[in-house]
Amino acid sequence: MAQSLQLHQVEKHYAGVPVLRGISLDIEEGEFVVMVGPSGCGKSTLLRAIAGLDTLSAGRMSIKGRDVTQLDPVDRGIAMVFQSYALYPHMTVAENMGFGLRMARRPQAEIDQAVQRAAGILRITDQLHKKPRQLSGGQRQRVAIGRAITRSPEIFLFDEPLSNLDAALRTQMRVELSTLHAALGATMIYVTHDQVEAMTMATRIVVLNAGLVEQVGTPLALYHQPANRFVAGFLGSPRMNFFAAEVQALGEAHAVVATPGLPPLMLGLAETTGLSVGASVTLGIRPEKLRLVDADSTQGCDFPAQVRLVEQLGRETVLYADAGPLQTQDSDSGTANVTVQLSAMSRLVPGDPIRLAFDPADAYLFAPSGKTVSVVPPGTHP
Amino acid sequence: MYPRPIPESQPLKRRLYMAVLGLALLIWLLPLVAVTMTSFRSTQDIMSGNYWGWPVAPTLVGNYLQVFAQTPMARFFLNSLLITIPSVLLVLVLSTLNGFVLARYRFRGATLLFAMFVGGNFLPHQILMIPVRDLMVKAGLYDTFYALILFHVAFQTGFATLFMRNFIASLPGELFDAARAEGVSPPRVLWYIVVPLLRPALAALAVLTFTFIWNDYFWAVVLTQSDSVKPVTAGLANLKGEWISAWNVVAAATMIAAIPPVTMFFLMQRHFIAGLTAGAVKG
Repeated sequence: MAQSLQLHQVEKHYAGVPVLRGISLDIEEGEFVVMVGPSGCGKSTLLRAIAGLDTLSAGRMSIKGRDVTQLDPVDRGIAMVFQSYALYPHMTVAENMGFGLRMARRPQAEIDQAVQRAAGILRITDQLHKKPRQLSGGQRQRVAIGRAITRSPEIFLFDEPLSNLDAALRTQMRVELSTLHAALGATMIYVTHDQVEAMTMATRIVVLNAGLVEQVGTPLALYHQPANRFVAGFLGSPRMNFFAAEVQALGEAHAVVATPGLPPLMLGLAETTGLSVGASVTLGIRPEKLRLVDADSTQGCDFPAQVRLVEQLGRETVLYADAGPLQTQDSDSGTANVTVQLSAMSRLVPGDPIRLAFDPADAYLFAPSGKTVSVVPPGTHP
Repeated sequence: MYPRPIPESQPLKRRLYMAVLGLALLIWLLPLVAVTMTSFRSTQDIMSGNYWGWPVAPTLVGNYLQVFAQTPMARFFLNSLLITIPSVLLVLVLSTLNGFVLARYRFRGATLLFAMFVGGNFLPHQILMIPVRDLMVKAGLYDTFYALILFHVAFQTGFATLFMRNFIASLPGELFDAARAEGVSPPRVLWYIVVPLLRPALAALAVLTFTFIWNDYFWAVVLTQSDSVKPVTAGLANLKGEWISAWNVVAAATMIAAIPPVTMFFLMQRHFIAGLTAGAVKG
């Protein structure tokens, strides 16, 4: 497929403070790329830079093979949808959607046609004469998307467009955006801090952290084969459990890892790891890979724990448990040590003693640098 | 909520509140009432010293006709309009342009420039009296409309710029990003997006500036001399006779002079709509 957007060593500094620290990225035509990352990772800055609203400090950028680094936003063939909708409050929906074409001095018939087409796609034809203040949040965001569609851009840019909507509407708009992407076949770049939006809509996810790309890949590839601890912890809810561990012995393609509170584990290693005996490593295990076992269980790797908090979600249950000597690192369960996701209802109550087990093949191992060094768990190849 | 509404259950407090309010209103309006009543008095009333009592043999339009028949008030009135209207328009245009640039663009010296606009407001007018008069005389503008228009525009634009800059700065920034992404040039952003949203601010500023300029007496006296240029405020002072004063006619002239600012207020009132930007962004 043809190249839609190419970023080459893109950098941005604000008063000497680096926000983007050399980002290179190729996006192909028709992709739905979602950029995720925590607040302040530079994702919105990157989007604004792609839009041409901010200039780059260094690096080059091209759209469809044409260098656009120095071009004005309007000459780049992009359209942007903003988090706050940014509709012109004194104009009707139709005027809002046609404003860009009107400013480009296109004939009125063409403007009307483009507006009607966009309104038809978004099912807001009966709202065209209304002012933005007469619309609900979801309708406003639809108008903002319609305004982008009328300009038939090469690339759609979305800056957290759903974060002002309530949960139900957000789910609905997520589906609609995916449908829209399929219908238009246009390249879309979408910025969000919501990993659910990233996982559900993206054809590819770009995980950003502190101005750098951590990993790029399909949602499932990132989920199952995180390149490092940051990506492993960022994608997936509830978060992956991280336990402090130490390399006890190194083999040809495996390592024996000692984790306080667990029996020694033998884990398969990827080819070049750079690990040494005695290195402090991190063991990672997803909450859904932990299961409850009987006290006399001998399968896999098991350890005792005590329930601290139970979250009943109906179809599934999330347990937060204390697991004695296991040392968790930045879990999102506060002081509790282990997060467990059970795919069934549970009658457990806080204080209940339990026994948890996991298959060592499901565990991830992260080097002191954060890099993933374990082999990909079996059955997770996307 | 503060202040708390006085509940229906406390009739005494309520009545006291109404009484005090009424009294305050009466004191506030007393001069206006006196002038209005005097404008209906006959000359005999004035001669006999009945300044405050109920008019004896009141005349409804007599004094008002006298104003136009015996004094150059019509001319003064016209002069005031010729000075005030262009001044207000110029102030609005200049302050909108200034405000847009100062609110939306960062450039070297922007803060200094803005500080100068604001700082000018703190200069006492009086210290400018001699230099401004000399300046106008040297420029050959003394005792012309241009002198007053120029001075009022220069002086009012400072405050108006502060007002407009702050209003424009409070407009959601993403509106400007959206417009830029759509390829709207800055002058067109100003015309198609900023100005329509500025309507309440422009209306408020127009009323304020109009009132300031129309009511100005100081500069009218300093910069004009002849009746053909004098605005209504300076003209009114001229109506006082050397020996006797026809206070009833002066009062009627005063009433006439007060009409335009009041009219202006009611004309602009419908534009004072709060929440004009409602719907632009998530509120």
